[in-house]
Amino acid sequence: MITCEEFFAEFGDYLENQVSEEVRREMELHLSQCRTCTVLYDSSCKTVKLVTDSSSFELPQSVSDAVVKRIMGRLRSDPQSSK
Amino acid sequence: MMAAALRPTENPIGYTRLVGNRAERRGRVDTSDKIEFESPIDSPSSFQNRLGFVPALVRAQALLPRLMEAQASLEKATRLRHGDLSRLQKERILLAVAGDRRDLYAIAEHCAVLSALGEPDVRIDALLVDSDDTALPEADLAALRFCRKLARVPHAVCQEDIVSLRAIGLSDEAILEAAVTAALAIYRGTISTALRVEPEFPLRPTVRVQCGLPQNEGQIAPDTGRRSHTEKGPYLASPFLSSESFAPFATLYQTHGFIPNFFRSQSLRPDLLEAEIEAVGKILQPEDILTRVQKESILLAVSAVNLNSYCVAVHSNILRGRGVAAEEGDQIAVDHHLSALSDSDKALVDCAIKLGARPAEFSSRDVDELRTWNFTEEQILESIAVVALNNFSNFLQMGLGFEPDFEVPAAFQRSIVKPFAPPGTPMAGDPAISTLVTAIADPDAELVAQAQAGNLDAFEKLVRRNTQSVFRALVAILGDTDEAQDVMQEVFLSAFKHIARFEGRSKVSTWFASIARNAAFQHIRKRKDTESLDSAGPGEDGDFRPRQVRAWQDDPEQSYSKAQVRKLVEKGILQLSPTYRTVLILRDIEQLSTDEVARRLGLSVPTVKTRLFRGRLMLRETLSPYFSKSTGGTLQ
Repeated sequence: MITCEEFFAEFGDYLENQVSEEVRREMELHLSQCRTCTVLYDSSCKTVKLVTDSSSFELPQSVSDAVVKRIMGRLRSDPQSSK
Repeated sequence: MMAAALRPTENPIGYTRLVGNRAERRGRVDTSDKIEFESPIDSPSSFQNRLGFVPALVRAQALLPRLMEAQASLEKATRLRHGDLSRLQKERILLAVAGDRRDLYAIAEHCAVLSALGEPDVRIDALLVDSDDTALPEADLAALRFCRKLARVPHAVCQEDIVSLRAIGLSDEAILEAAVTAALAIYRGTISTALRVEPEFPLRPTVRVQCGLPQNEGQIAPDTGRRSHTEKGPYLASPFLSSESFAPFATLYQTHGFIPNFFRSQSLRPDLLEAEIEAVGKILQPEDILTRVQKESILLAVSAVNLNSYCVAVHSNILRGRGVAAEEGDQIAVDHHLSALSDSDKALVDCAIKLGARPAEFSSRDVDELRTWNFTEEQILESIAVVALNNFSNFLQMGLGFEPDFEVPAAFQRSIVKPFAPPGTPMAGDPAISTLVTAIADPDAELVAQAQAGNLDAFEKLVRRNTQSVFRALVAILGDTDEAQDVMQEVFLSAFKHIARFEGRSKVSTWFASIARNAAFQHIRKRKDTESLDSAGPGEDGDFRPRQVRAWQDDPEQSYSKAQVRKLVEKGILQLSPTYRTVLILRDIEQLSTDEVARRLGLSVPTVKTRLFRGRLMLRETLSPYFSKSTGGTLQ
């Protein structure tokens, strides 16, 4: 079975689902027998999910509208001003 | 024997004449027809001895004899000697590639040389039409097919091609020689396209029938072949060659500060390596005509358009070593029109890109355009040789999968502005190719065209579609949402200002993101922020090790409202250094592919992967106190 060190070396690619079938089997075997790495794997997956589901850094529509209005107002009043 | 059989029928005409006419106007005599070699360089005698004539293509570069020497060096090692392939085999490859690229000058020359070497006419005709009806041994046919593929779809060449060549009996040395020969054909084709050298031997009647000029001739075709994206190069064996025993490597150390894998990976054939390094030295090293920064800018921009991320990484890093900021190099690669290059250098790069990536569109008007920017004939000629060398390198790298792995001497590291980022992976086999190719089919293309015609409603639609991604790109670098909102206006006004120059080389969304990135960097410079995208930050450059090992709750989102989770995530991300923040936001929030992130940030895919992994682990550390089973549920 691979060591924790070896697991960690492949962990980034494993999270991205970019390891070969052989490596995947080794990783899963390790996970089935190592609590620490299981915690690491589980919490990392949850971190990624939290980030992707969080709608972080999304401008509220009202703010976005105001920004667009300001830009277009400037261009419409004087399209050459930015040239 | 062959020398007696070969006599060019006419003097070349074309760009050399333009050089001559113009030179005469300026009181200089055209040397193209009566070259006298004051110092007896080896090049003409090599040609004279082996071919019986000095090709017009070489003589056409008489304004700068070192360019003639560079080409002669490549030809002497590759074409004019028996190596692991015979001269006949290599002339066939040169003819096949020239035929594919409709390079009439080269077709005429290689037909004549093949004929003089005893090749039957029927086989020459078969080679020109890509027919397998050549009655050649299977290994020769396989080598020809490989070289045609390399010249047509270099991105599609893969390890399997090499394996099948080996299976048929070709040695790695012979495969390397075949690939270098195909790359030489590309080099010659680039020069002949630019200099418009007329064929100096009669064209065979079959050639006249076959050679139309397809619109996209010479462009690198998209990857349509089946291949494994996980395979790694280099595809050929490359035994260690020391700079102590191999003098050209010592020279490279002195001139470049490191030995790119491009050269290391060709160690099976030191004779070819020596010639390539000599050509590089003669074309790139002198700064009496164009500066090295001008040449590297050309190499970077043309490699980017050719989708060769290996060469992009190499030339970005060389530019950094020359004091050009990393983000400026990135900008030249993404869209040089928005870079800080002078207007004349932008025109020089424009011309180079057209010659290197869209040769069918190249014409004498492009050369005239450079003259209007007051480039001298020598500068124009040298830029052409730089593009030829670039394409030689781009095709060879893509064909043989040279890996981007450098050994950087400390002296070189000290000489560069920022820490050396690992260079990009070769584009060969990279899914980013398809992403880039589909950029042509940008759904926003119609709106862009309307906006370019001055339609403000169309531009407003583009702004609305890109507001969120621009905002995130700004937050990623600035690390401050309020500041990002402030800079947004600058970004879109700048985009409007430059939209006429947008050529559709990337999706417009990528272009907006690139402007946002530039604006953010300018903003950072104003606030004298020392943070850099390329510096990992104190304590973060080494291996990051997780410390929180408490198990998380089964459903961490259950303990908090959506707004609270978002606040925690945003806070955690903003605490990351920009190195990790930019990659994480683009990958996990913008949900771009790893390859797209690499392309947008001008980083290699492995670098993006490493930064993404570490960024995620760091964020996990920050979030663990809130979501672990023992302490979760309390917002502190």
